[in-house]
Amino acid sequence: MTHPHSCRFAWCLLILLVLHATAGAQAPLHQRIDESIAAGKLEFAKQAAALADDAEFLRRIYLDLAGVIPSAEVTRAFLGDQAADKRVKLIDRLLASEQYPRHMQRVFDNLFMDRRPDKHVRRADWQEYLRKSFADNKPLDQLVREILSADGSDVKNRAPARFYLDRLAEPHQLTRDISRLFLGMNFHCAQCHDHPLVPAYRQEDYYGIYAFLSRTSLFTDKKAKLAMLAEKAEGEVSFQSVFVPKVSKSSGPRLPDGPALQEPKQEKGKEYAVKPGKDVRPVPRYSRRALLAEQVIGNAHFRRTLANRLWFQMLGRGIVHPVEYDHEANPPSHPALLKLLGEELAAHKFDIKYLLREIALSKTYQRSSVLPKGSEDVAESAFAGALLRPMSPEQLAWSVMQATGLTDAERLAQGKKPNEAALHARLIGNESPFASLFGNAPGEPAGEFQATLDQTLFLRNGDLVRGWLAPRPGNLIFRLGKLTSTDGIAEELYLSVLTRMPTSEERKELADFLASRRADRPAAMQDLAWALLASAEFRFNH
Amino acid sequence: MKPFYACNSPQHVVSRRQFLGGAAAGLAGVGALSFADMVQPAMAEQLRRMDKRVLVIWLSGGVSQLETWDPKPGTDTGGPFLPIATSVPGTHICELLPHTARQMHRMALVRGINTAENEHGRGAYIMHTGRRQSPAETFPHLGSVVAKLMASEGNALPGYIHISPRGQSGFNRQDAAFLGPRFASVTLADGNPPPNLFRPTTLSELADSQRNDLRVRLNNRFAQGRRTADTEAYTHTYDQATDVMRRRSIFDTSREPRHLQERYGTHDFGQHCLLARRLLESGVPFVKVTHSNYDTHHENFDFHIEQLGEFDCTFATLLDDLAQRGMLESTLVIVMSEFGRTPTINRNYGRDHWSRAWSVAVAGCGIQQGGVVGRTNANGTRVVEREVNGGHLFHTYFRALGLNPRRNHHHNGRPIPMADPQADSIGEILA
Repeated sequence: MTHPHSCRFAWCLLILLVLHATAGAQAPLHQRIDESIAAGKLEFAKQAAALADDAEFLRRIYLDLAGVIPSAEVTRAFLGDQAADKRVKLIDRLLASEQYPRHMQRVFDNLFMDRRPDKHVRRADWQEYLRKSFADNKPLDQLVREILSADGSDVKNRAPARFYLDRLAEPHQLTRDISRLFLGMNFHCAQCHDHPLVPAYRQEDYYGIYAFLSRTSLFTDKKAKLAMLAEKAEGEVSFQSVFVPKVSKSSGPRLPDGPALQEPKQEKGKEYAVKPGKDVRPVPRYSRRALLAEQVIGNAHFRRTLANRLWFQMLGRGIVHPVEYDHEANPPSHPALLKLLGEELAAHKFDIKYLLREIALSKTYQRSSVLPKGSEDVAESAFAGALLRPMSPEQLAWSVMQATGLTDAERLAQGKKPNEAALHARLIGNESPFASLFGNAPGEPAGEFQATLDQTLFLRNGDLVRGWLAPRPGNLIFRLGKLTSTDGIAEELYLSVLTRMPTSEERKELADFLASRRADRPAAMQDLAWALLASAEFRFNH
Repeated sequence: MKPFYACNSPQHVVSRRQFLGGAAAGLAGVGALSFADMVQPAMAEQLRRMDKRVLVIWLSGGVSQLETWDPKPGTDTGGPFLPIATSVPGTHICELLPHTARQMHRMALVRGINTAENEHGRGAYIMHTGRRQSPAETFPHLGSVVAKLMASEGNALPGYIHISPRGQSGFNRQDAAFLGPRFASVTLADGNPPPNLFRPTTLSELADSQRNDLRVRLNNRFAQGRRTADTEAYTHTYDQATDVMRRRSIFDTSREPRHLQERYGTHDFGQHCLLARRLLESGVPFVKVTHSNYDTHHENFDFHIEQLGEFDCTFATLLDDLAQRGMLESTLVIVMSEFGRTPTINRNYGRDHWSRAWSVAVAGCGIQQGGVVGRTNANGTRVVEREVNGGHLFHTYFRALGLNPRRNHHHNGRPIPMADPQADSIGEILA
């Protein structure tokens, strides 16, 4: 009983310490995502879809992280796995797989280059550069830094320069694409005047970005026979609004909501490290373009936009949506969440896998696409259930190959030494017919989903897919032909194409179908497989 | 399509669909007048407007205006051919077009075109989009705009078809620009039907319909409890495909009477124009037929005798056939190239690229019959009266079709004027 006071004091201190520690140990990001999505919505628990079952989750996570549906074998194993943490393990396995960087390469190639044809950099080199970047989990800011800093003069490492060079270094094109891709602001019409509908998209912001690039042009090095970027040391940017034709304004380099750059005074005659001349690539001592990458990465819009892009990639809808129209009149559905994701991305040194993994672990991501009765009209922006997303042309191509068993047959043909890179090289040619039919026109950013007649005629009557449905050792129709029970056939078929077990109604439907086609059973199997491939359930990531 | 209804009420869309649903199999000459009586006058006007269509004859390479619509006899630039009188008193065209001359009362000529662009690709872009090429924006082709704004609701056929003497068949997404791939052009190379139109020979019609039944049942099960806007758009294209596959005979000109095939001409261009008429009649709102090749840097005169010899009779037959069928008054016909040819004759007896003073011929729907607008100087080296460019032509096309060229397309919430706001329509040739 001697020092009662100090004893009480110690207790208090301990309690304070414990309280402080709990507050400091934040819940993992995926939990905070779920809290943030439900926050302030009293009805959310009632409106939200249940968690997806294992089959629905498996198909979705494969499409989102590997870019292809899983094989029947993988699906059987996952459905049979009793481990409580099998979803976490699967997410980690996919992020570590060889398919992950290939998928990310396709997504970011299309995002950055809009399916442009090769001009000055071989697409294969660029794609390999991207693939390796994602395989190494290169921080996203670093990737953007490399792309926006490359000028093509490093002959051994020209791939990242494709962004500039294959846009022919055209400053307007670059201004538009850099602002929309990295800052979430589609400044398209601010080239000629302030945006008539978006007060925040001002012409002076457009020309602030433009000023980083207006001194840059394409230069062809005659000796190396290569295009690279050249830059002048002078040239100011002035512009007029078509609405106010007689007033001329000017702008130095400045990003939206960023600082106006103070330019060093250049001593006359010493503006160039390499002076302009005939067949000489001028290099200024002070390069505006060289400052662009750091300005973009340091800009407040950058982390938020990139986090939103990764969210969009996983959920099919941005928190700001459309992703490229981030402004006051188009507010984020969940402002706190968008802020959180941007900060987390930056705090984790732009670790792409970290963010994708946390999103994948969230309940928000793992919800079913089947909404509870009465919730069908809940806005998509509530993220109360998984959205249906049309597969990208590449996801579709590789998934049709997987579903028909072309991939399995090729793997079997490889014999005892399966080699994913060789398999990829062998099948990649099948991607292009899908890309040209289902993809956006070269140079046009992908727009809203439009289903077209030519796509459907291709799937319906085309030789390519029909050829994959001819029996061949290891492929789907071959495997079905070996089975005798209609239940066995139904299971193999549904697992292979739709990544799930058939319902009892579907088993009966299939048995009836085969009974009615006893005379031409092999053809009947192909027709069954086609019906599944042509279904909306297959075409969409759900 | 919304802006073209009298009001935006969904009933209008529905009734339109109902009207055309019944007629979809053989749209042809039905349409406007037959059901106009059944609806309110304002609405009938809207519907009639929707049934208009466009036919472009594209004289690829750049036809010579001097050997066609704007002859300059007896001058240093005129060349060897004589002008001839036409069915329009006072209007003369080149003697290489005797049959067309007799159709002149159905046509109008724009003789004061200055597009200021002598390169094939960029010239073609101006004539297809009504704008100069610019990195700021890619504009959709007239065909894609018409496909979007003027296609009948119930029609499954592609809205913009290009019959080409060669090249590769297929859908060309870039032509639709921001309007999206649904309005892309479809090339029918050498008049062949679209790719993958025919059911595989190893698949019977019965089996095809059975597998489609299965597909539909799967889709219905999948739709339960899910949002379906996009899946419906997807499944709809299967119905569209079924419809187009069933109507595949519209791509087959051998079904036309023998004598008509011969009148059009048994050569490729003749058959392609006959196919164009079949497609227009079946409800395709925009067809372009390419006749190649007029890029006559060498032997301009010999080549024009040969090329126009094919063009003349076929084109005159086509106009006459459209008029006889009562289609001409609702079909805008445009004969154009990427540019004209130099008045100066080069040392190879050729004419080179020339865009400063050339001509386009138009006919049909909303066009003043027998009209002539614009004038070039005595030897055709410049425009001296009513100079116009691609923008003016587009304003005129849209007006002729009953569309307001001062309206905007909307792309991502951004208004994009349908036609160049700096230009205006050529009122003199609008009926």
